[in-house]
Amino acid sequence: MTANANPASSEPAEPWRRRLIRTLLYGRNIDRLAKARARVGLAIVAFAVVYGVIAARLVMFALASNSHVNHRVVSGDAVATARPDILDRNSEILATDVRVPSLYGEPRRLIDIDGATELLTADLPDLDATELRERLSSRRGFVWLKRDITPEQQREIYRQGLPGIGFLNENKRTYPNGAEVSHLLGHVNIDNQGIAGIEKWLDGQGLAALHMAGLATDRLQAPIQLAVDLRVQHALRDELVAARAKFSAIAAAGIVLDVRTGEIVAMVSEPDYDPNNPHEALDPTRINRLTTGVYEMGSTFKAFTVAMALDSGKATLKSAFDAHSPLHYGKFEIHDFEPQQRALTVPEIFTYSSNIGAARIAMSVGVDAHKAFLKKMGQLDRLRTELPESAEPIVPKRWSELNTVTIAFGHGLSVAPLQAVMGVAALMNGGILIPPTFLKRTEAEAQALGKRVIKPETSELMRYLMRLNVEKGTAAKADVPGYYIGGKTGTADKVVFGRYSKTKVLTDFMAVMPADQPRYLLLIMLDEPHATAETHGFKTSGWNAVPTGAAVVGRVAPLLGIEPRLDLPTADNLILASLKENR
Amino acid sequence: MILRLLNFAVIGALVLAAAYVYRIKFNSTVQAEHLAKLTSEVRHERDSIAALRAEWGELDNPARIQGLANRFLHLKPIAPTQFDTLDHLPDRPADGASASTDPIAGIIENLEEPEMATGSIPAAADTAPDSAAAPAAAGAPSQ
Repeated sequence: MTANANPASSEPAEPWRRRLIRTLLYGRNIDRLAKARARVGLAIVAFAVVYGVIAARLVMFALASNSHVNHRVVSGDAVATARPDILDRNSEILATDVRVPSLYGEPRRLIDIDGATELLTADLPDLDATELRERLSSRRGFVWLKRDITPEQQREIYRQGLPGIGFLNENKRTYPNGAEVSHLLGHVNIDNQGIAGIEKWLDGQGLAALHMAGLATDRLQAPIQLAVDLRVQHALRDELVAARAKFSAIAAAGIVLDVRTGEIVAMVSEPDYDPNNPHEALDPTRINRLTTGVYEMGSTFKAFTVAMALDSGKATLKSAFDAHSPLHYGKFEIHDFEPQQRALTVPEIFTYSSNIGAARIAMSVGVDAHKAFLKKMGQLDRLRTELPESAEPIVPKRWSELNTVTIAFGHGLSVAPLQAVMGVAALMNGGILIPPTFLKRTEAEAQALGKRVIKPETSELMRYLMRLNVEKGTAAKADVPGYYIGGKTGTADKVVFGRYSKTKVLTDFMAVMPADQPRYLLLIMLDEPHATAETHGFKTSGWNAVPTGAAVVGRVAPLLGIEPRLDLPTADNLILASLKENR
Repeated sequence: MILRLLNFAVIGALVLAAAYVYRIKFNSTVQAEHLAKLTSEVRHERDSIAALRAEWGELDNPARIQGLANRFLHLKPIAPTQFDTLDHLPDRPADGASASTDPIAGIIENLEEPEMATGSIPAAADTAPDSAAAPAAAGAPSQ
């Protein structure tokens, strides 16, 4: 306000020319002094801001320089993508990363291509000279020459001092156990990305995204612990390899499943491959038959048929079904392998493995109920586990009474063997269907996941029947003393060119141990076993899959911590009696 | 006059502060490089540990152990009858009671001692008790 008041008095002292300039420059009636002071103030503020920014940036650079140092150190091996270690349930290593040098070239910096080619092929004899020259002649900035070389080769090449040739350390996935754990683990490609098995599942769990962002370069990722037990896996594989050779079968496969948690403790499908050598996996005979193959499981399916009848209350252990003569259905005729030519009770149908009896049981329950029961047991839908490989069961499109008749004894419905194992485990463990897993799981978690499919009493009766079948049925050779095994055999004719073959069979054996307090379920499956002198010309399950199963149980049970009990009474006196007591 | 003194004092303080900051900065650079070196050493060690663990996994592989056991040991798979529970174990006798006071028990013990050989010691060990370790390796190829 004072600035406006003063000019009136001082104005006359000013010469007119200066006043004109002032008026032109600043306008009328404005005090230059006040204005200049404000401007100086503004300039001070502006400079202060600029210097403040410079100071702040200096502080930021000073703080950030640490990360620069680290980056410089890592750049020698930045390409490598790390994967977490995979451990078995006892923390034995199944898969781990090892750093290996890889050789690369920078063609633009290369001076003498022919000389370099000559020297490199001398050190790496398995490198193709023409291909190498072609790669080095390209105009690209970076080419891989050879992945995964040995430290000695690295030293040799380093000493030649070739310009434009360098090494990068890469993570290489190694599987110390080789083929022991193959299908289950899967394998990785040259860039350490999972392409099969648990390795692929790992990538699906966000690891792939980490790789993409370039963050998964360190070894600090938490290891993954699987449910598999390396010792059990080895014992199972060892016995299966022996059995496959002995019966000259195309393939042999086996699973050990914890019936209370659904954990897969061992899974072998022979022939298998060495994950360190992934191209072996391309061979179609080496597929994982347990999850990617579907098979008609044969008489083991009678366990479902009998359980269904017992659970629905349509039959009891005392019910008898006519098995006098082969069952005629349309133009089909169903025979028994060991015809008894009389009416058989339910336990007899189970232990003689009577096709006619099983068919009649299923017919007594009805087509719809049969289908609904198998659906409830998870036998009609694709089973999904952590493994990316899975197969859809082959279910008849129109499910007529004939289908029910044949499916009752395990023909006409093809399921993945792992699926059948899951179903039978539910029959054994008190009636709870638990989806199988390859990861560790506690019993409480399994109970939360599982759903009740049959009554606990039915499960108890089924275990009685399984034990009875070992005591005096088709699985008599499985009676390893001390482990109280219960089991059901299965022999299915294989389908060749759309017809059931008379000569080619698939045999399988499901064993529960111990039958009175079920802990583990074992499946043994042999594809096209042949008769030997030792089996007296037979090739049914009882002569090949069952003895194999017994050998496996004898080796595996101590590893699984099952205590041998040598003085147990028979199934009639132990399981059946305890059931009666509870009622 | 006072103002000028103050100015000099401020300039002196500035120089001192700059020197001090430089020292801290220099120290921190040294520390950072030390840290980077240690980090890379840790990384290297971790890589070697992983390589050694992989190698151990290979050597400890059950198939390999089984092959070695079949070649060099005379052990057989455990039968179910060979298991027993701890509560079936007889009580430990009082110290020195059986050996010194009961002569017959002492004789029986002496008799039984050589028979207690486990399956891992081949028969050759009985004839040459002074070289207990050697027969395990030497005895195997002859059988």
